[in-house]
Amino acid sequence: MLLQFEKVSLWYDDNRTVLSDIDMALPEGGFYFLTGPSGAGKSSLLRLIYGAERPSAGRLSLFGQDVVNAGRKELMNLRREIGIVYQDFRLIPHLTALENAALPLRLAGADNEYVLRHARELLEWVGLGNRLEALPTELSGGEQQRVAIARAVVNKPKLLLADEPTGNVDDETAVKLFHLFDEMHKMGTAVILATHQQHLTEKFKKPGLRLKGGRLTSPMTKVA
Amino acid sequence: MALPHKLFIHSFRKRRLGWFFAALVLMMVYLATFVTAAEVTLSAVTLSWDSGVQSRLTVEIPAIEDESATPQTERAQQALAILHAMPSVAHVSMVSEQETLGLIKPWINQPDLLKALPVPILIDIERKAGATLTAEDVRQALKSALHDVRVDDHANWLSDLGSFVNGLTLLGLFLILLTALTLMICITLLCRSVMATERATIDLLHFLGADDRDIAAHFQRLTISLSWLPALTGFGGAVVSAMGLLYYIRNFADTALLSTSHWAYIGATVLAVPLTAVVIASYAARLSVLSTLRSAP
Ligand SMILES: Nc1ncnc2c1ncn2[C@@H]1O[C@H](COP(=O)(O)OP(=O)(O)O)[C@@H](O)[C@H]1O
Ligand SMILES: [Mg+2]
Repeated sequence: MLLQFEKVSLWYDDNRTVLSDIDMALPEGGFYFLTGPSGAGKSSLLRLIYGAERPSAGRLSLFGQDVVNAGRKELMNLRREIGIVYQDFRLIPHLTALENAALPLRLAGADNEYVLRHARELLEWVGLGNRLEALPTELSGGEQQRVAIARAVVNKPKLLLADEPTGNVDDETAVKLFHLFDEMHKMGTAVILATHQQHLTEKFKKPGLRLKGGRLTSPMTKVA
Repeated sequence: MALPHKLFIHSFRKRRLGWFFAALVLMMVYLATFVTAAEVTLSAVTLSWDSGVQSRLTVEIPAIEDESATPQTERAQQALAILHAMPSVAHVSMVSEQETLGLIKPWINQPDLLKALPVPILIDIERKAGATLTAEDVRQALKSALHDVRVDDHANWLSDLGSFVNGLTLLGLFLILLTALTLMICITLLCRSVMATERATIDLLHFLGADDRDIAAHFQRLTISLSWLPALTGFGGAVVSAMGLLYYIRNFADTALLSTSHWAYIGATVLAVPLTAVVIASYAARLSVLSTLRSAP
């Protein structure tokens, strides 16, 4: 099992419930759109998965491992199996495209030669083979997001999380980026992509997880 | 595999933080090196005095104005004879008048007064190795022939000087300790400030799979790269100043007495100061980053 939520609820300090009683079980290797209007709790749900937030109630496990009670070390090991793509890219401004894409491999302790070769391959895959030494400020939004995608998958993660990855780019670029996620999925990586842009999700026939009023409303969430 | 150097270096250099940091390390290392240099040199000089004069006593036969009394030279001969006969005495020698005048001269500026002054006769005694011979023993032995002699045991004033030097050494060590603590506190504050500026990046690194130790090690390396040059500069400045000071007090603490092995010891100790400072700085950075990360939610 890739991911399992059991009666997961989340409220922030102001006690307003953001997610309530979420139950879901996702098998490995799938591609899911996480949809819902702005403020529905999509980002919050993704943050629960990568341990940036702890649920206020309920149990949550990833790759069969409890996330809620994971220590710092276990959380670190889980995160090394996840790639994350953010709406605002979050590239490190002082590092080149190559160094940004290479970061997770460096953190995982790979040797320098392998790190650079593999990061370069991935930047070529996202179409930035000729911009390796560019700084983020020298790249367009779409290009920056390609670097971020390369960074997210450089570690060959089992799960790729994307939070509105196309929120800051035009539709044409967005479709191209979606194709990159689809390619990753075809190579065996599970993908959960949060977006409120319905006109984009309609082009790709993928199962949807729909959040509304803090609850999952889509029919396919009760996978036994 | 190390994180890229450029990751946080900009935050270290922002708002002249880098200059403050360099100046701080430079001054701390200057201070600690100077104190250490003064301290080890002084203690080496006192040690070398020790071995020379520890075993010696001086007998002073005062000049007598009274013409009718036994002449001074005769009294000296009597004293020499008695001292020679003592079993604990290894060697006895009379200090020449020239030398005695030389000892008095620095204290008296007027040549006329110096001429008119009754000059005492001084006799140097060297103890046999391992023998116990106190100033009182010598006075007792001479009493029958000469009742008004003064006997100085060099071990006494050496031990006074020793306590003085020990006191200075303790004070110096305390100063060095304070310097080290100040350096550690400043580096902790600096690292916390950079961590606050880089909060988002540090969170991101965690999400990308960074271990706390990766981040701490990165701060540690940055601290080393930013501190070694100021540390060496402070060290160089302190060595030059210490040499100047030693030259200034050369009459009091004569470094010509020191052997090559003394100099090697002094050199090694003093050189250890900037190296220790860099190590302390780097560990202060590492530990403060680790503890800040661990106390974060
Ligand atoms: N750190 C936070 N503290 C308090 N409230 C938050 C926080 N993050 C999100 N929220 C609130 O939780 C709700 C869901 O937000 P979010 O998960 O970002 O939704 P989405 O990504 O679907 O737009 C919103 O009402 C938002 O204001
Ligand atoms: Mg969101």
